[in-house]
Amino acid sequence: MLAALVLLVTAASLLSPRFLTLPNLLNVLRQVSIVGILAIGMTFVILARGIDLSVGSILGIAVVLFAGSMDRLGMAVAIPIGFVAAAAAGAVNGIGIAYAGIPAFIMTLGMLSFVRGLAFIYTGGTPIPINSQQFYELGNGYLFGVPIPALILLAVLAASGFVLGLTPFGRSVYAIGSNEDAARLSGVPVRRFTTLVYVISGLMSGLAGLVYASQLSIGTPIAGQGYELDAIAAVVVGGTSLFGGKGSVGGTFLGTLIIGVLANILNLTGVDPFVQQLFKGGLIILAVLIMSRSGRR
Amino acid sequence: MRKILWLAAAVASLMVSQARADEKLPVTGKTCTELQAFYKTLPFTDILPMPAGPVKVSGKPSDLTIGFSQTGFNHPWRIAMLAALQAEACRHPNLKLVVLDGNVDVAKQSNDVHDLLTRGVDAVLLSPVESAALAPAARAVMAANIPLIVMDRDVPTDKTLFIGQSNVTMAEGVAGKMAKDLGGKGNIVVITGLKGSSPAVDRDQGMKNVLAKYPGIKVLATGDGQWIRDPAVPLMEDFLTTYPKIDALFSHAEESSWGAELAIARAGRCKDHIRIYTFDGSNAGFKAVKAGTFQADGNYTPYIADIGLRAALYALMKKPIPGEKTYRFPGHELVLPDSPVVTAANADQWIGRGWGDFEPTADPCRK
Repeated sequence: MLAALVLLVTAASLLSPRFLTLPNLLNVLRQVSIVGILAIGMTFVILARGIDLSVGSILGIAVVLFAGSMDRLGMAVAIPIGFVAAAAAGAVNGIGIAYAGIPAFIMTLGMLSFVRGLAFIYTGGTPIPINSQQFYELGNGYLFGVPIPALILLAVLAASGFVLGLTPFGRSVYAIGSNEDAARLSGVPVRRFTTLVYVISGLMSGLAGLVYASQLSIGTPIAGQGYELDAIAAVVVGGTSLFGGKGSVGGTFLGTLIIGVLANILNLTGVDPFVQQLFKGGLIILAVLIMSRSGRR
Repeated sequence: MRKILWLAAAVASLMVSQARADEKLPVTGKTCTELQAFYKTLPFTDILPMPAGPVKVSGKPSDLTIGFSQTGFNHPWRIAMLAALQAEACRHPNLKLVVLDGNVDVAKQSNDVHDLLTRGVDAVLLSPVESAALAPAARAVMAANIPLIVMDRDVPTDKTLFIGQSNVTMAEGVAGKMAKDLGGKGNIVVITGLKGSSPAVDRDQGMKNVLAKYPGIKVLATGDGQWIRDPAVPLMEDFLTTYPKIDALFSHAEESSWGAELAIARAGRCKDHIRIYTFDGSNAGFKAVKAGTFQADGNYTPYIADIGLRAALYALMKKPIPGEKTYRFPGHELVLPDSPVVTAANADQWIGRGWGDFEPTADPCRK
């Protein structure tokens, strides 16, 4: 996967002299931060052999809640409100799947529509502008010369890598994804941990919503529509198996970068927007093809 | 079971008692009282004028039901359009509206139109997602022998009346202002509306018509902003990275223009003074024109649905529609006057007459 990224970056720097400049690379990092954060949350879910189609909608509800409360109540209150809603939606997903036995695909598909409806009701369909300068800085500012959203993405990556690799919970996520019955028999609290996985995905959606709202200074009820598919694509390109148990957040990060660099270079070289979609689709299929080959060896 | 029935009856009676006087109307959440005041601000109430009060149509029962199939309510422009319709409906106490949300999906909207026919509406107002795909639904309405008023985007089949403004001539106006400001030469980038959608195609066509006369203006790159803010940010970032000298941005939607302005500020290119030419005609957009963020705003008003309703009532009453003409598609067309492009010169005059009551985003280049 790293080889693919290196190849793409080499090709990109040959195609456009402006690709390999620091401002452009920092732009790419910022551009991928929203989907990257969603994809890391999605990795937890897919590793546990689930799927979460509601991440884009949960991002949307968090965005409108941040926007609706930011100027009235201030950052310190507004941010928790959005996160509580996002975590609650994730918890409902998790409980429905782990305890009520609803298939993840169906549960989160329902949640996708339900939460999007809430976002439309909350806003009345009209975007809510955010005027807080401090909040704008969060999405658009720099720390140590790196865009803050990119730093958030890297922090999330490090924390998730630690949780998945080095904690009993993380190892259990892999165990649940490989063989749920075996995990249960060996004493893993499967239901509780499955619920937790969807709560994490919900929280990540909330965090991605925070980046979205602060970057764009607007709370629109259509925020994040279709992002669930971008997140799943990043996870898959990053080498995580849709059948659970195999993969890593590091891979997802690389997958996110590959898709992001591809979009960037297509824009830099001025490829027709109609044609850009062909590249993106082709890349996803190619990545999975290469992976299934290497898996068989 | 009996308990459930009681509960249902209680809920139903509660709903009936609420459905009086200052009932909040669906989607817009406005009451008729609020809409009466709003009606006075609408731009086209003098077209097909109609006095307030009950509408009498011979051969019909006293109450009339009018169906409205909207593209979708995913954009405030579409909601503003409905508000104009509700405002007209509120003036006529015997009118009932049935409003359906197409979810920007041609299949869903086609079903919606058929559902309206099943419900036995007296007229259908349609603002199609996409023209060709809604043609069969439009034919079904005409076959049912009830008036079909098509608004904003057209269908290529027979209809009672099509009402819309021309995106082509509007874009010519905006692009003409751009060409003049640039003195006929310069480098521009374009962020379109959702690719393939008819307003995006028409706005692009209008721009190209003008640019054909100005060979000195070069289009460096074009990207798809999907009418919204988030895709426009990375697009503009990448344009700025690729091209050290951009003189102007031609952007099909105010929302995308805001996204581009954010990207310009972040890239530290505010001092390039990239001129922005955009569309949508919201009050926020007009304020941004006044503030100098946008150089021009194509004044594409959603306030045409009140005319649509009046046209339907004219048709039901068999009154002739003054100003209707035959045109390239079957049926008739009512061409609305092009509202002038809003620029710094006339922004003051237009603020308050656009759509939407939200404030513009703070311009990151002017903080």
